[in-house]
Amino acid sequence: MNKNYLFLTLLMLLLAVGTFFITKEEGYKNEIKPEALLREITQPSRYVTTDQVAKMIIEKDPTLELIDVRSADEYNKFQLPDAVNVPLKDILTEEGQDNLGIEDMNAVFYSNDDILADQAWVISKRLGYNNIYVLKGGLNCWIETIIRPVEPSETTSQTEFEQYKFRKAAGMYFTGASEITDSNGNGTKKPKVKVRRKKKEKAASGGC
Amino acid sequence: MGPLIPNEIITGDWNFVIALLIGVAFGFILEASGFSSSRNLAGVFYGYNFVVLRVFFTAVIVAMVGLLYFDYFGWLDLSKIFILPTYLAPMIVGSVIMGIGFVMGGFCPGTSFTGIAIGKMDALVFAIGLFLGIFLFGEGYPFIADFFNSGDMGNVTLTDVTGIAAPWFALGFTVIALAAFWITATIEKKVRKNMTEYKF
Repeated sequence: MNKNYLFLTLLMLLLAVGTFFITKEEGYKNEIKPEALLREITQPSRYVTTDQVAKMIIEKDPTLELIDVRSADEYNKFQLPDAVNVPLKDILTEEGQDNLGIEDMNAVFYSNDDILADQAWVISKRLGYNNIYVLKGGLNCWIETIIRPVEPSETTSQTEFEQYKFRKAAGMYFTGASEITDSNGNGTKKPKVKVRRKKKEKAASGGC
Repeated sequence: MGPLIPNEIITGDWNFVIALLIGVAFGFILEASGFSSSRNLAGVFYGYNFVVLRVFFTAVIVAMVGLLYFDYFGWLDLSKIFILPTYLAPMIVGSVIMGIGFVMGGFCPGTSFTGIAIGKMDALVFAIGLFLGIFLFGEGYPFIADFFNSGDMGNVTLTDVTGIAAPWFALGFTVIALAAFWITATIEKKVRKNMTEYKF
């Protein structure tokens, strides 16, 4: 028998045995590089203000997606309109990630302040998701600025007065609307949240 | 094709260009392996020529082991490749019919065209029969549609069905294939009197 055949037989056998040692580590495929994360994390544009979010909610902006990263208990007590609840500990689960990376949607994380939301942002960013933001100041800031805005002193600029006027009106929009539903005698109805989920990634289709 | 078009790296218009290039390469390899001769092809059933078994088994184990390495090196994402859906019973029946046609005609569909390319009459007759078969199948489809579409298991792999890791199959197939190479070589030697060994 030809010596070459023997050599090829042994080589093939060796390569086949080698496949046992090349099992891939389970990792996140789209994880971004540390440099990219550092660059993104220092951008102030990753924050959105309560005013911006209030305006988007009032205008019923279809691209806004609010994600509440607090616990389910806290979420049930109070949440922003149409927010979905993804507690921070669930953000790595498949269900939690369903809410991220939806085409044309801007996901805004919020928590009581912006610490939990920031953590959720960093995790999601590292997973490679884009169009994600953090509500600056969180719900505390929301209450301070939108629900109970403080009237500026008379000497302040015109723009600040306009901002105050907007906040006052927005506050009425958010608090007033809930009072109407209460007075109808329907009791405290749980708000219906329209959940949009990401389409599942499909493997390539087609024949041979 | 493959990862390029679904990921919109190139447009779908390239499908035919790539198909043509792959087709040319495939035909060339078939011809170069001696697959355009029905004597070579049918020989596997009579025991005097096992080139079919060797070529196909070589292709299977090289591709099988190679894909695992490609996936490891990150050149290819195995989770994204197309897997033909499995219909167990119809596939068994289909492959028996294919095998009978193979031993009777001395060609399989692809090799009959390489045979035509080098001017073999029997390949031409086979290809005419091939189209006749396709026509009959198309016309008779309503009668066999139920069976044809039965037992859909989806786009599954052996690992999905059995839960055994892919390297076990790679090693198993490699051992079987390599054993087959050596065993068939000895059978050939006994059956063929005027055996000429392949040199490379």
